[in-house]
Amino acid sequence: MINFKTIIRIIGILLLLETVMFLVCSGVSFYYRESDMLDFWKAGGITAGVGLLLAALGKGGERQLTRRDGYVLVSFAWVAFSLFGMLPFYIGRYIPDIANAFFETMSGFSSTGATILDDIESLPHGILFWRSMTQWIGGLGIIMFTIAVLPIFGVSGLQVFAAEASGPTHDKVHPRIGITAKWIWSIYAGITALLVGLLMLGGMDWFDSICHAFATTGTGGFSTKQASVAYYNSPYIEYVISIFMFISGINFTLLLLFVNRKFKKFIGNAELKFYFGSVVLFTAVIAIVLYYTSPMGMEESFRKSLFQVISLQTSTGFATDDYMQWTPVLWGLLTIIMLMGACAGSTTGGLKCIRMVILTKVSRNEFKHILHPNAILPVRINKQVISPSIVSTVLAFCFIYISIIVIGTLLMMAMGVGAEESMGCVISSIGNMGPGLGETGPAYSWNALPDAAKWLLSFLMLLGRLELFTVLLLFTPDFWKRN
Amino acid sequence: MKIIIAGAGAVGTHLAKLLSREKQDIILMDDNEDKLSTLNSNFDLMTATASPTSIKGLKEVGVGEADLFIAVTPDESRNMTACMLANNLGAQKTVARIDNYEYLLPKNKEFFQKLGVDSLIYPEMLAAKEIVSSIRMSWVRQWWEFCGGALILIGTKMREKAEILNIPLHELGGPELPYHVVAIKRGSETLIPRGDDTIKLHDIVYFTTTRKYVPYIRKIAGKEDYADVRNVMIMGGSRIAVRTAQYVPDYMQVKIVDNDLNRCNRLTELLDDRTMIINGDGRDMDLLVEEGLKNTEAFVALTGNSETNILACLAAKRMGVSKTVAEVENIDYIGMAESLDIGTVINKKMIAASHIYQMMLDADVSNVKCLTFANADVAEFTVKAGSKITKHPVKDLGLPKGATIGGLIRQGEGVVVMGNTLIQPGDHVVVFCLNMMIKKIEKYFN
Repeated sequence: MINFKTIIRIIGILLLLETVMFLVCSGVSFYYRESDMLDFWKAGGITAGVGLLLAALGKGGERQLTRRDGYVLVSFAWVAFSLFGMLPFYIGRYIPDIANAFFETMSGFSSTGATILDDIESLPHGILFWRSMTQWIGGLGIIMFTIAVLPIFGVSGLQVFAAEASGPTHDKVHPRIGITAKWIWSIYAGITALLVGLLMLGGMDWFDSICHAFATTGTGGFSTKQASVAYYNSPYIEYVISIFMFISGINFTLLLLFVNRKFKKFIGNAELKFYFGSVVLFTAVIAIVLYYTSPMGMEESFRKSLFQVISLQTSTGFATDDYMQWTPVLWGLLTIIMLMGACAGSTTGGLKCIRMVILTKVSRNEFKHILHPNAILPVRINKQVISPSIVSTVLAFCFIYISIIVIGTLLMMAMGVGAEESMGCVISSIGNMGPGLGETGPAYSWNALPDAAKWLLSFLMLLGRLELFTVLLLFTPDFWKRN
Repeated sequence: MKIIIAGAGAVGTHLAKLLSREKQDIILMDDNEDKLSTLNSNFDLMTATASPTSIKGLKEVGVGEADLFIAVTPDESRNMTACMLANNLGAQKTVARIDNYEYLLPKNKEFFQKLGVDSLIYPEMLAAKEIVSSIRMSWVRQWWEFCGGALILIGTKMREKAEILNIPLHELGGPELPYHVVAIKRGSETLIPRGDDTIKLHDIVYFTTTRKYVPYIRKIAGKEDYADVRNVMIMGGSRIAVRTAQYVPDYMQVKIVDNDLNRCNRLTELLDDRTMIINGDGRDMDLLVEEGLKNTEAFVALTGNSETNILACLAAKRMGVSKTVAEVENIDYIGMAESLDIGTVINKKMIAASHIYQMMLDADVSNVKCLTFANADVAEFTVKAGSKITKHPVKDLGLPKGATIGGLIRQGEGVVVMGNTLIQPGDHVVVFCLNMMIKKIEKYFN
């Protein structure tokens, strides 16, 4: 049966970790001498209190966690993190409404980047910093972060890690999961630090640089400006952010290979090739269309196209231009990109390129199979045969993904949201992108949506971030049966 | 410590699980992916689908940085080749599992080291040794010698006749007590006793003592009426059976029962006339009685099937055989077999794994044995001058709960450790502890 005692204890400890994050933000408030410092202290006090209570309640449970416990723990940990993470927004009356506050926090932790705020610049620095930090922590994963900094999972780290990690297969770069997590986090932190430096060179102040770097490497998309990256109107910043969004969309174990100078393996990776190829193709097509259909010049068309394509494919959601003003066929292309997503094992959302690679190969094999009925046709990726069970998992994943989009869109429409907006919001939420279509596009916030829609979309964000199965499993009756 | 284990068979997987819990960096290699996939997703270790004898495969798992390379595939020559390759590619230390007694001879040690195979492990031989030592002392469940016999560990089950039941340990005797109770196994639980614990009926009690006092232990345990073993019957002509038959002392008469005629013929070639080979089903009681089961003091069941071994031992016990030994390869059955009154349980995997485990402990530790019954570890340390353990008498050291010092060897003489004993530099100390606590204990010695 489910080991609730230990799960409660671990969630309690996680909340203490969140308290530490609040304290970091209150440091920022203190630096700017702003009033939100007290709100962070209040939120921290509540969170620490509940955390200690849970940790005490769960004392003395069996340390070992089963696979089942792993799924429960990860799902509940994410919900708990978001519930308590919204306290600073709510206590300080920056977002006075619970649905909105939860939505904003979940949007941050799931690194979606959709916002309900209509006047971002008016918020104090500490709150903005917390908003950006949620994306950075959530980008690589709360659990992954915990594995790297605290040895609280003991021997069960692997079970918990598997429930959070993205992609159909998980490569290990080191025999021990704790060290793997540390390596990946140091790469992540390294990229972020590099980006902060480059943005400051481009003329951003340090606060905006850090916040934008958090949002870029976490592929979240929260900006500290209402107009997003377009506010700076600087080609340098746009190019730098484009490049770093692209890097953050690469599988982090691959980046580790790159750092260890195993270039051959890095370049030869099938998923990376597909990712790079799709970025090049879509950027070129959109740039050409933009050049002929809009008043933009050649460089500008290329730059806007590159930024928007990478931003949506990596599920970041920064905007330098309102693509809803572009010719409608381009929205269609961008929707395809949103569905596809970048590489597994990165901070991005969407279906992930590795699944697209497997799907294309399976489909091609089907045609071959009709011509050669007796042929044995393996699906080979990076020269290794993918087992049929993984292929069927991928097929099921894609089916469920599409079904949820359809159901979600219908539910949204039932709540009175327009068809275009409904579809845009659902695809954007489940893929953790940020901007949607129509009235929910990059130029607007999502504040106008009904509360019920915000709860639904928050749920979809969690679903998308934990790659469906982890959360959906809890809704299957078999999961709770004793056998 | 980076450890590469080649071969995901019974020994390899057991070892990998054991060591991954110990926070070692484990890479398990096998060319069969099916054997690896469940381990990969359930344990904190890395697996690699590659042949252990492929140079490319070895390089890919980073054999150059490995501290220990362990080849435990079923095939002896493959293990040797893998170790030689690994050694030349930079592995610090290599261990190969073998199946040939010749290789173990001391004169060949240097030759194998030159080839790049540092240590050899022969699980069947280790198992045979354990069987023989357990039937030599039929009243003893476990017998283990430290430093060539200066100190002896004895595990025995308490029956009604025992003299030390239900008395708190600290009342058993003062500082002159010639033994020390290091562990008690009660049901499925192992405890390292403190002064106020008592010994109960049907406990298995582990004593440390010196050779001189072994008869005394036998007396207080109420085991004086146990007959010495002269006739041994072995069921199942496995490789361990062959080793056991070769290894028994000359005064014992061995009969091996196997129901495969070809195997019987092969056994006659492997063994000399001292051993009688009987073709028949070892589960057939009439056959066994006809072959003199009633005059047999020890019955050893070594078929490939753990359940058969357990049941056959129980049947033999009913027929009046005082000492039974069963090979149980399913680790989960060990506790059950023990509670069913089977004298000694042999597990090849655990014997081999604990043997390798001792190799990876720090160089100061010369001997670790995983007690299959007691779920406890036994480690032998040499005390360095200035280490923490020499500072206070044993009772004031504050050793963690679940650990005890069983005895020490000072200038070749075994000494039973009491609360007031002060440990001196140069002593060999024998420590007992639960659940791989050795790493914690090591701190006291460094």
